[in-house]
Amino acid sequence: MQVEKFYYDNKVVKNFAYATILWGGVGMLVGLWAALQLVFPQLNITQYGSFGRLRPLHTNAVIFAFVGNGIFMGVYYSLQRLCKARMFSDKLSNIHFWGWQLIIVAAAITLPIGLTQGAEYAELIWPIDVAITIIWVIFGWNMFGTIIKRRERHLYVAIWFYIATFVTVAVLHIVRSGQLPYSWLQSYSWYSGVQDALVQWWYGHNAVAFFLTTPYLGLMYYFLPKAANRPVYSYRLSIIHFWSLIFLYIWAGPHHLLYTSLPNWAQSLGVVFSVMLIFPSWGGMINGLLTLRGAWDRVRDDVILKFMVVAVTAYGMATFEGPMLSLKSVSAIAHYTDWIVAHVHVGALGWNGMLTFGVLYWLIPRIFKTDLYSKKLASYHFWLATLGILFYAIPMYWAGIQQSLMWKEFTEAGQLKYTFLETVTYMKPFYAMRSIGGTMYLAGVFIMFYNIYKTVKQGKLVANEEAEAAPLPKVVEKHKGEHWHRVIERRPIQLMILSLVVILIGGVIELIPTFMIKSNVPTISSVKPYTPLELQGRDIYVREGCYTCHSQMIRPFRSETERYGEYSKAGEFVYDKPFLWGSKRTGPDLAREGTGNLKKSDGWHFRHFREPSSMSEGSIMPAYPFMLTQELDTSTTKAKINAMRSLGVPYEKGYEKFANQELMTQANSIRINLKIEGIEVPANREVIALIAYMQRLGKDISNNKTPTTNK
Amino acid sequence: MFKFIKQYAETISNVNIYPIISLVIFLVFFIVLLVLVKKMKKERVQELSNLPFGNEELTNSNL
Repeated sequence: MQVEKFYYDNKVVKNFAYATILWGGVGMLVGLWAALQLVFPQLNITQYGSFGRLRPLHTNAVIFAFVGNGIFMGVYYSLQRLCKARMFSDKLSNIHFWGWQLIIVAAAITLPIGLTQGAEYAELIWPIDVAITIIWVIFGWNMFGTIIKRRERHLYVAIWFYIATFVTVAVLHIVRSGQLPYSWLQSYSWYSGVQDALVQWWYGHNAVAFFLTTPYLGLMYYFLPKAANRPVYSYRLSIIHFWSLIFLYIWAGPHHLLYTSLPNWAQSLGVVFSVMLIFPSWGGMINGLLTLRGAWDRVRDDVILKFMVVAVTAYGMATFEGPMLSLKSVSAIAHYTDWIVAHVHVGALGWNGMLTFGVLYWLIPRIFKTDLYSKKLASYHFWLATLGILFYAIPMYWAGIQQSLMWKEFTEAGQLKYTFLETVTYMKPFYAMRSIGGTMYLAGVFIMFYNIYKTVKQGKLVANEEAEAAPLPKVVEKHKGEHWHRVIERRPIQLMILSLVVILIGGVIELIPTFMIKSNVPTISSVKPYTPLELQGRDIYVREGCYTCHSQMIRPFRSETERYGEYSKAGEFVYDKPFLWGSKRTGPDLAREGTGNLKKSDGWHFRHFREPSSMSEGSIMPAYPFMLTQELDTSTTKAKINAMRSLGVPYEKGYEKFANQELMTQANSIRINLKIEGIEVPANREVIALIAYMQRLGKDISNNKTPTTNK
Repeated sequence: MFKFIKQYAETISNVNIYPIISLVIFLVFFIVLLVLVKKMKKERVQELSNLPFGNEELTNSNL
């Protein structure tokens, strides 16, 4: 057959490589800054730079900008070579690249100004969600176009991982983005309370699975054999790895919600599948490491292999730890603590970071037809990064376990031994040590900047790399008794549909019953919708990212009910859009902040927001002086009430017309309370709304005379 | 969203069976997968695992 000549597009690969380096640096820098804010709260400079707004910026930058561009760099390089074809359309490649960068810039602007949906890792506002959908479709179109015009009959396992990534991220993004807009920028979640929580962690966990894991496994299956110059250890194992991983991952989300108000059956489901997940994960890790069988001597000299070995090892550690953390007894200790922060950083810094660096050092010299500028500098980078991970993770593990033990410790008289604040101040040295680890890791990235800059300078980009291959014959010869997987391997669309079916089985069994069955969320008659002022206050709570440090979910442990009051019930959250259970207690739980022993005066809250350390000495919470002067925007009240009503919150018809009147009445009563405590402030300030919300927390159930239980 | 179906599903009885059903679905899926993968021919597996190398010669390979 006639051999065809064609050219690989290296320019788009170069663009994504530069983007991953740039955004990686930015995302990690923001992370380091946020880490330092926990040691020195005065680093919360202005409202745009407070921890609650920067933390989502850090996570979004690292996940979607650093890892996202890393995925596209690797996919665009390997897909072309595995398909023996140029990308389907240069135009689509360009739209994809620039579109994705614009989305990142939009995120970097909207998050610091406080525009957020308040769902972890899905904070971006609805217009950006729409843009992500469009760009994701363009990526898929370009990818499938390339696969369809390929010159290699069989689809290598890496491509399956890319296809599963594409289809699952699309499903996750669409379901999680279910929002009803009430303005051009903002919206409320379709789901509420328990259902919102389940959707969130089904999404959140699978964002880890299908954005941080499956595409990077695809990269591992391509770049590790290339760097080691030997085929993958077991191709059979890779097939088992792929199918069982995508099947199991999708079920595991509820392990983020153990001991919460989520129905028990859903929690058990999450635990069972999370534990089973260890097998495919370790199958993949073993497959990666054994690819180096007989070549371990080369790991000593080859810095690229070193990066990759640490990456795969970190993948193994994180995926061992994940199932362990999913056991209810371990979750009881680890949840809400810095242990989880350590766990995710072993994944992000170790697995994603180190694999990205390995691929960059391998790929940049190749597309620039030169050698790496300095292997020595790359080696320094390797050691800084590896030690940086250890210096980061070890203090955080220590802190997490210590914190949990302190939360749970009782004196002989049966009282809690430590106040929450004591546990916070105890954490400070660990937070400081963690920043050192982060600084080391970031220093390594800066060394890589320089090394890659020099490499690029000494080489020349081969924008269009020449290649040759025979086209595929039009008619496929079918052999009798052909193996099933050969058939699927040839057909990308069928592979996609089959992956979709596999991930939907888990998603459907998990989500649908929670939505459809009333008994999953027992209603509590005393739970009423928020007043307009409380609703506005709640939206300020979301805007400031308070949920990044404060949970609103009391688990049924004595140590928690003693500290915070009655454990949380599913029925309490039916009007919460979004749910605000949180996932971390850098500060105390706030579910019952307005009741019982925890109730404070309006004046206490006012002073606390103005300067937290004036009321709680040693507090690391940011100060919010701007809320004392900023006027509450009441022009949105009507739209908010209308939107909430369309979403099923029982505000009476016509209520929106006098909602603002009621809002001002309530605000005035708080203003008068404050005046009695010697504080003069106009009623139309943001802080008044937030105080109203604080005082509402947990109140519904304390009014309830009949006992309530969680089913 | 599910308003119109919602009324037909008021309770969920024997809910403990859910994890068991799920486990069974997975085990069946997994066993079938294992059997099928086991039946793959050796030459085929080797050909597939060499796909990243195109027509390049492998050095240092144990193959």
